[in-house]
Amino acid sequence: MVLKTLSELKNVIAGGPRKKLILAPAHDQHSLGAVIRAWKDNIIEPILIGDEAGILNICSENNYDITGLTIINEPDLEKSVEMSVKMASNKQADVLMKGKVGTSTLLKCVLNKEWGLRTGNLLSHFALFEVDTYHKVIAVTDVAMNIAPNLKDKIAIINNSVACLIKLGYNMPKVAILGAVEMVNENMEATLDAALLSKMNQRDQIRNCIIDGPLAFDNAVSLESAQHKGIRSEVAGDTDLLLMPDIEVGNVLYKSLVFFAKAKVAAVILGARVPIVLTSRSDSEQAKYDSILLSAAAS
Amino acid sequence: MVERVLALEKKHRIAVAWAQDKNTINAINKAVTNGFAEAILIGKPQEIINTCKAAGVDSKSFNIIESDNEINASKEAVRMTKTGAADIVMKGLIGTDKFLKAVMDKEKGLMLPNAVLSYVGAIQIPAYHKLLFITDPAVIPFPDLEQKISMAGYAIEMAVRFGINKPRIALISASEKISPRFQNSVDYSIMCKMAEQGQIQNCIMDGPLDLFLACDKKSIEIKGVNTPVNGEADILLFPSLESCNPFYKGLMLFAQGEIGGLIRGTEKPVILMSRSESEKSKYYCIALSCLMA
Repeated sequence: MVLKTLSELKNVIAGGPRKKLILAPAHDQHSLGAVIRAWKDNIIEPILIGDEAGILNICSENNYDITGLTIINEPDLEKSVEMSVKMASNKQADVLMKGKVGTSTLLKCVLNKEWGLRTGNLLSHFALFEVDTYHKVIAVTDVAMNIAPNLKDKIAIINNSVACLIKLGYNMPKVAILGAVEMVNENMEATLDAALLSKMNQRDQIRNCIIDGPLAFDNAVSLESAQHKGIRSEVAGDTDLLLMPDIEVGNVLYKSLVFFAKAKVAAVILGARVPIVLTSRSDSEQAKYDSILLSAAAS
Repeated sequence: MVERVLALEKKHRIAVAWAQDKNTINAINKAVTNGFAEAILIGKPQEIINTCKAAGVDSKSFNIIESDNEINASKEAVRMTKTGAADIVMKGLIGTDKFLKAVMDKEKGLMLPNAVLSYVGAIQIPAYHKLLFITDPAVIPFPDLEQKISMAGYAIEMAVRFGINKPRIALISASEKISPRFQNSVDYSIMCKMAEQGQIQNCIMDGPLDLFLACDKKSIEIKGVNTPVNGEADILLFPSLESCNPFYKGLMLFAQGEIGGLIRGTEKPVILMSRSESEKSKYYCIALSCLMA
């Protein structure tokens, strides 16, 4: 199965128990709206940790009806994050969402050796785009977390992403390793890593997916382009997951899809014991909502 | 191989540097008698004639050119080949390093510009159903990626000359797994992708593979590895001189193997063999070089 739209993520979670999402610190104008909407749509069961008075204030200002919603009062920002991580660690939550706090504060708690959410895996960012000009959603990684992944990191990032896609219902997702060209060029590290990742996939050292690369962006997403160039590849033109060579390429691609191609996007941090929603203030409310949906489906 | 050479219906002129070696003269004589070679023996004429006598070979069937020492003999053999007075140059009773110095001389030598100098051997063994080409048992100690690509190209070229349309080339390692800690497995993965993208042509390439997976179908079944070489390698590319050299010598000693081999990367074929090589192997080398000339 493949997803054609982000809203199809609702089918993935349909019928299952509602996933518990902790938002901390929850007195956050920017994320509370999306959380409450997802709650009303029966996607998640939220737990709000934060300054109760502040939460109630935001809700009344925005006319959110929060009757029956769980709120834990912890006005201190860092303590609220610590509490959320500990609860997730104790399996009291399925998804963690960052509220009114810096990313570094959250990650410090997530990576805490005693009570954090480490699994031994690398944390990586996974983004899912719905864009009119492609025949299905396309996942892109890593556009926000790992700066210049080496080969080992890239393997971990692929494994995180493939596991997530399988949770979303994919079987043997097609992974394109992005390069500027499809030829191997000794002066382009990305093309060398791509050759290695493809071979490791052939040798079953990276499983549950079909990897090909280097593929230039056009060949990864357009069968016509690939055929024009005479590229024979199971992945070309039908990519489910695009692996970025580094954060700069990833970030620019991500933002150009959103700004120029009007793509809808959902994103999640993978590799911790639970999916983590880490949206930024500049994300639209729809993007936050879709990210919550994605995380619930991926948990 | 010899049949293919005879089919060319051409006599190749072979210049032998410091030729007074019995095995060499016997091998050359066989090539001359079989009609595909003419010999130019360079060295001390009297010693050459004596060696011929001892070998029971008629020295009159060779063209003998006088030279006072092995280094000058090498220079002369290379000069003749470079200027077209000979088609092939062959090492006689002289050390490889001294001989190669004449071949590799920047102005007077036989090197192609920017070419990698490497060695390709063709081995015949009763235990394998076809010829096995190997590289490099003699020239490059630890080939880097670029050298490996050249080595593959030379071996493929030779196999194609033997009428093998798309030779199967196995990049040999101790295991089929890829690990960044083993640079060879990294190089091999890159080469496979290059072959896939047409950057290395006319072959079916896979690696890393161990020798079993390269040459034995049963091992493929047992290990469940999916490899296009399919246990039928025509060419084995080794990660180092020290792995390739004992491989071929082991086959010579223990598996009734015979080898013919050739230096590649030169304008004209260069026959370079260990002085202790058998007459038969030397003969095959001559035939091989005629085929590649």
